Amino acid sequence: MVDLSGRELSTEIVESCRLGDRDAFRALYDLYKDRVYSISLHFFHGDPAVASDVTQQVFLKLMTSIRQFRGDAEFSTWLYRLVVNACMDAARSRKTQSAISDPSRMEAFPAPGSQEEDYVRAQMANSVRAAVSALPPKFRIAVLLRYFDDLSYEQMAQALHCSVGTVASRLSRGHKILAERLKGAAGIKG
Amino acid sequence: MLRLGIAACAMAAFAGDFTFTIGSPVAAQDFRAKVAAFVFRTQGCADPAKSQISATAEGLVKGVRRSVALKVEAMPKPGVYAVYQNWPADGHWVVNLKGTCNEANAGAIVPIGPKGFVRESSKFFPRPATNIEIEASLKALAQSENKGENK
Amino acid sequence: MLTRFTRHISRQLAAHLDGQLVQPQAQQAEMHLRECARCRTEREQVRRGMQIIEHLSLVEAPAALWPSIEAAIQENRSRQAPTVLLWRWAVAATLLLALAGAAYWRFAHPSGTRWEVVRLAGSPSGGGKPIRGAGRIGAGEWIETDATSRATVKVGEIGSVEIAPGTRVRVVTARPGEHRLALARGEIRAKISAPPKLFFVDTAAGTAVDLGCEYALSTDERGFGLLRVTKGWVSFQWGGMESLVPAGASCRTRPQSAPGIPYFEDAPESLKQALESFGFEKSGGDALGVILSESRVRDTLTLWHLLSRVDAADRGRVFDRIAALTPVPAGVSREQALKLDPQTLDRWREELAWTW
Repeated sequence: MVDLSGRELSTEIVESCRLGDRDAFRALYDLYKDRVYSISLHFFHGDPAVASDVTQQVFLKLMTSIRQFRGDAEFSTWLYRLVVNACMDAARSRKTQSAISDPSRMEAFPAPGSQEEDYVRAQMANSVRAAVSALPPKFRIAVLLRYFDDLSYEQMAQALHCSVGTVASRLSRGHKILAERLKGAAGIKG
Repeated sequence: MLRLGIAACAMAAFAGDFTFTIGSPVAAQDFRAKVAAFVFRTQGCADPAKSQISATAEGLVKGVRRSVALKVEAMPKPGVYAVYQNWPADGHWVVNLKGTCNEANAGAIVPIGPKGFVRESSKFFPRPATNIEIEASLKALAQSENKGENK
Repeated sequence: MLTRFTRHISRQLAAHLDGQLVQPQAQQAEMHLRECARCRTEREQVRRGMQIIEHLSLVEAPAALWPSIEAAIQENRSRQAPTVLLWRWAVAATLLLALAGAAYWRFAHPSGTRWEVVRLAGSPSGGGKPIRGAGRIGAGEWIETDATSRATVKVGEIGSVEIAPGTRVRVVTARPGEHRLALARGEIRAKISAPPKLFFVDTAAGTAVDLGCEYALSTDERGFGLLRVTKGWVSFQWGGMESLVPAGASCRTRPQSAPGIPYFEDAPESLKQALESFGFEKSGGDALGVILSESRVRDTLTLWHLLSRVDAADRGRVFDRIAALTPVPAGVSREQALKLDPQTLDRWREELAWTW
């Protein structure tokens, strides 16, 4: 039984995965699946089908190439490089956005019993999702990577295949665009 | 209560009267209304940008009065809105619509039956419905549903 | 001597806010911000953007993902030599690459997407194989139920279709942009939560185009059947003709013929029977008279569709009946309606839909 505490990924798990230990891989999967899925989902405009495919692809790729992980970088950095590659590759191969990917349409199916605060919160989240979806892909992936995991700029630079200065620039510009787009939106102070 | 500002023009079918018309989701002609309890439109608003719409579900659940703020979503067609069910399945419920357009007011009480909104029992007013009117609609709804159960 | 940045530091603002600037750049940035209003303003914008993003939430990955990853691995494992006894992932590089390649191909070519099929009762089959618990089915494959079996198909991420006993249905397309079934015989019940025109069901009599709905569609092998909509609305199309069927309404289907005329299920029985005998031929006679006389305001759904199905000589009667039941809106003239002008008919339908 592999022990896994908090968000720390022990070298033991990685080593067990390299040896083909199914339980270790399951533990690894459980640790990262929601973050990988969330990044993919919000990158692809709330499209759960694409997000599921990308997530599956990432973990399959992880499984097939974990032996190549030499341990000279953080495992999460290496994993998120796979996520970035998968998202950007998929974005390039998708010619048009599916109609279902319009985030504003996700709010057409409210949960019964939700109260006004939930509705307002949901509307804000919807606006934010739409604004994130409208970011250029390079800004979008940087913003999502920063938000959904606690990577340093150096780690993000490795995941994004760019310099630390470029990471900082993309994050600055990406967040500024979000603020401009949602200026005055209900619930978001301008 | 939820308030919506409307930026587009509403079509005025009844000159001078600010009113509501209710309909099945198909009337909105937008898939987002598919799961709506019903849709409604405003008519007769000369200055739609200043109109405000709100909706609540007023209910009687095991003898206890309840009120729930409702989600009202503007449809692409100006002046058309969808109301989504935000109230519990048990009990008897009516939807209370309120609207203002400049100085004009409109109100409606839309009973919700087992098969959806009850068009025939819906009531429309040139002002917000009063509590007495809401109570009366709830009572009538409860009685008609009880009669149906006893058949 | 420490100097401040002389140029604007727009591109470093995120790093500054995240505490990622090292010294002396961090201190230099602080000095610059004290003196540069423009950068202070931009810093607030970046800070606001960082607050805004906090409205996004972590979304739980679907539970079905892990089994599909396992299944993909298991599929490859089953092709390994029998001497491999334990479930180990020390597989040959070629098999793993093939797996990764297949997974990538499946993503790049979404028509290869396979839908989950779950057995509800009896012994349904999918892709020619019995479905014992759950299975997957892809484009070109059939799902078949006998008299005692039922199944449900998860249509991508947009909904589900229940397959009734005695049904034969094929997956035509399984892509994020198009989900299409072909119903050869039997009955399906669809519950779709998606923007319109993503889900289609072909029958011998025409195609049901989902416009956001729940409905039941039954057909025999010749194409005679019934479409019944319980939520939303469906367009049933054949040969360029269309019937719009909203919730609470039904529509008969018939092969090699225009889509049936929709009617509300709570319409008077006499109207429904007259509609049945009126059939699909463009004829008036007694049946039309009954339909017109028995129709209520709500039955303008039926009457509007009848306009284009009756003989030209009878159109006036249909128009007059609709006009008697509900005011004709501005922009709809009798003359244009009798000519079946498309814009006029669309305008009229938009208004009539408020009574359906």
